[in-house]
Amino acid sequence: MNKMTLECLAHLENEAFIRTSAIAFLMPLNLSMEDCMEIKTMLAEAVVNAMIHGYEGNHEGIVRVHVSYDENQIEIIVADEGCGIDDISQAMQPLFTSKQHLERSGMGMTIMQTFADDFHITSEKGKGTVVTLRKRIQHECVSE
Amino acid sequence: MKHQFKDGTLYFYFYGELDNLTVCNLKQICIDLIDQYQPKTVKLDFEEVSFVDSTGIGFVLARYKQLQKYHGELIICNLSKVNHRIFAMSGIFQLMKEERNGVKL
Repeated sequence: MNKMTLECLAHLENEAFIRTSAIAFLMPLNLSMEDCMEIKTMLAEAVVNAMIHGYEGNHEGIVRVHVSYDENQIEIIVADEGCGIDDISQAMQPLFTSKQHLERSGMGMTIMQTFADDFHITSEKGKGTVVTLRKRIQHECVSE
Repeated sequence: MKHQFKDGTLYFYFYGELDNLTVCNLKQICIDLIDQYQPKTVKLDFEEVSFVDSTGIGFVLARYKQLQKYHGELIICNLSKVNHRIFAMSGIFQLMKEERNGVKL
């Protein structure tokens, strides 16, 4: 088992740093290009949600990202102490967005749900949101 | 990003990682160019795009709506396999066409 934690201010430019750092940390797993892309995308969605929705663009908020893996799975936890989500089931609906004026698509949750093998979210109004994403590691059969 | 206006079509060529920050920086330039040319067709080329997320979908949907003012058509070009999957999740291809190397899919 291996793990790391990143703690960043909710500046949008930190999102690229977080997703590339997470992928660099996962390098020893020799993930396929497709798995890397899926992990990057779902992590980007979770982090952008924390920054834009959780902290509503307030740059002083702190986004915490925990990445861990063992031989079977990768776990990514993205936590904020922002405003929380009013109605999680509504937020999960494809194309639902509370920020249409910012040209948000409302697809972030759907993308996370599709790319993660296990996706789950807890949120408390005024306290923050924790998103957990798990991905099973595909072991390639190596023939001798 | 590069752009070109030719025979009534406005082309946008994106490259690299089209993430939230990049889209925020490009958005206004694209809005202004579409309003300036009021083109019949806009083609968004993703051939050199290595990363896209829901922000990219929101951006494309918003340009689709903007173009409707001019009765223009929006076409998404040269999506990679993974980028296609991300766009397809939103049902976006019910609204607009996709092209690869100038050939409609």
